[in-house]
Amino acid sequence: MAEVVLKHVNKSYGNMAAVSDVSFKVEDGEFVALVGPSGCGKTTTLNLIAGLIPLTSGEIRIGEREVSTLDPKDRDIAMVFQNYALYPNKTVFNNLAFPLQMRKQSKDVIDKKVRDAAKVLDITHLLERKPRELSGGQQQRVALGRALVRDPAAFLMDEPLSNLDAKLRVQMRSEIKRFHHNLNATIVYVTHDQLEAVTMADKMAVMHGGVLQQYDSPANVFAHPVNTFVASFVGSPAMSLIPVDVSSSGGKTALKGQGWELALSEANARKAAATSNGKAVLGARHSTLKLHHSGVPGSVPGKVHTVEPTGDVTFAQILIDNEIVNISLPPTVAIEPDQQVWVEFDQERMHLFDGATTMALKAA
Amino acid sequence: MAEDRPVTRKQIDGWRWAGRGVIVVLTIFTVLPMLWMVLTSLKSQFAAMQYPPQWWPAEPTLANYWKLINPADNTGREFLRYFWNSFYVSLITTVLGVVIAVPAAYAFSRFRFPGRTFLFFTVLVRNMFPAVVFLMPLFLLMRWMGLVNTHGSLILTYLTFGLPLSIWLLKGFFDNIPFQLEQAARIDGATRFQAFFLIVMPLSTPGIIATSIFSFIGAWNEYVYAYTFLSRQESMTLPVGIQRFFTEFATDWPGLMAATFLMSVPVVVLFLVLQKYFVRALTEGAVKH
Repeated sequence: MAEVVLKHVNKSYGNMAAVSDVSFKVEDGEFVALVGPSGCGKTTTLNLIAGLIPLTSGEIRIGEREVSTLDPKDRDIAMVFQNYALYPNKTVFNNLAFPLQMRKQSKDVIDKKVRDAAKVLDITHLLERKPRELSGGQQQRVALGRALVRDPAAFLMDEPLSNLDAKLRVQMRSEIKRFHHNLNATIVYVTHDQLEAVTMADKMAVMHGGVLQQYDSPANVFAHPVNTFVASFVGSPAMSLIPVDVSSSGGKTALKGQGWELALSEANARKAAATSNGKAVLGARHSTLKLHHSGVPGSVPGKVHTVEPTGDVTFAQILIDNEIVNISLPPTVAIEPDQQVWVEFDQERMHLFDGATTMALKAA
Repeated sequence: MAEDRPVTRKQIDGWRWAGRGVIVVLTIFTVLPMLWMVLTSLKSQFAAMQYPPQWWPAEPTLANYWKLINPADNTGREFLRYFWNSFYVSLITTVLGVVIAVPAAYAFSRFRFPGRTFLFFTVLVRNMFPAVVFLMPLFLLMRWMGLVNTHGSLILTYLTFGLPLSIWLLKGFFDNIPFQLEQAARIDGATRFQAFFLIVMPLSTPGIIATSIFSFIGAWNEYVYAYTFLSRQESMTLPVGIQRFFTEFATDWPGLMAATFLMSVPVVVLFLVLQKYFVRALTEGAVKH
């Protein structure tokens, strides 16, 4: 296994930039998820690492080698595709054997390696079948097997679970995690599902519009999103964001909404003071909010929009300034739509973003 | 929607039977001439000219066929010559056609290059004009190149007819093969060429076979160009050569019919043997699997 390094990687089609100045480093044995909405450039980035499309500029290294201009076959990588891309006219055995045959290994070696990989993935009984005779989960395992059989420097996975049904997806998610753990494999994994990224990856690279927004551990991305895009993309339900004005008078700084004011703690006041245009976006995750039936200090008035009981926790959507604010409640709390409520913000765990740049505000 | 009445079982059956009736009539219409051809080929010249006609040969004979395939006989020598010429021209046309059409279709299917759409439609435009429109221009061109009375003139001409259809059909086939298969192959260690030859080609065999049959049959049956370009007897192809059965004073009808029958044998055999590929070629891509 080896590390994968991207330095100022660019890919453009004509005037359209698909990937702009992306740099990150995947350590040896690390599982990194490239995550973002469709069209954000994550799959393009993966294809650039694979060498399936040429770079416009920048540099890619795998292990000690610079591979920017090498053919895919010379990059020593394995890839798992969204539609598995199993060779339909070959048996499972020959699908697994193909990468070894291409590398001119002897028949005995091929036979042994294929059977070892099949054993690891529990597909030995399927070796003589054709891909179309397999279930989705089995096809997925064969695709993993074909990647595994060669012992590559790094694994690239392009939404490998998105063609599976919900139950199988959860199962395969833990299998891939196990696979990563057992092999200590370097994996770059593309997904549009932030939950997959958060649950599986050591680090996540959040992309948007071809630009890398944040590259950090899921815990850090969750706790310290760098801008409103990352804040609203990671976490479910999404982080609630309310545009507000920042007002300062008599040494006190507060956030002003439509007909309400929220006084800020000293730490938050210093952050709010850094706003570039006097406006800010207040962000809060559902679990940090408290619901009140009357206006306690540090709370903001709102109206109940919808209530969604899920059994062990009830999610409510509260309208504050016509913005939807998600909040989680114990199932015992009884509230009705259109009811007047107050939402208390946790000063320690609230987020403040610049009203113009959408970047997280930092105390000067 | 008040006018809508549910279609009854009886109505469906009615249409079904009407449809079968049409099929029966059409079948008789197409099969009868062929049957008559076979029956006549089994008669003697005398029996064939009888009036009222002898429907079923009273004394069936294979003499007409023996004559055609006997190299010692003058007629036989000519016929075998035409047969070989036709086979040779059709085979070379087919092989060259596949060799050119496969990479062309692959490029149209896989690569985005400037002028791609324009080129693709230019290729098709060729088939929108009746063949005779090109007869004189091509004849002059062939004469200028000194190709008149050579098989090269026919092969070149047939290629210009066959290639657009072949490219078009094959592109449909390649479009249906997910490009991720090639990407996977390239990551698994194949070059672009290996990915094409080891993964894409085997998957498109039905398409390649079907397009080969199309161009073979097209070349085998072609008459107008062969008639125009070839005037030397020894280079003639079957459709032209067979005409020599019509002579100034008499027509050897049974001999002509036997020759016609032998001429249709390769086409029928090709069709029967490779029929399943044929149907797949025409329906592939119609539905998503």
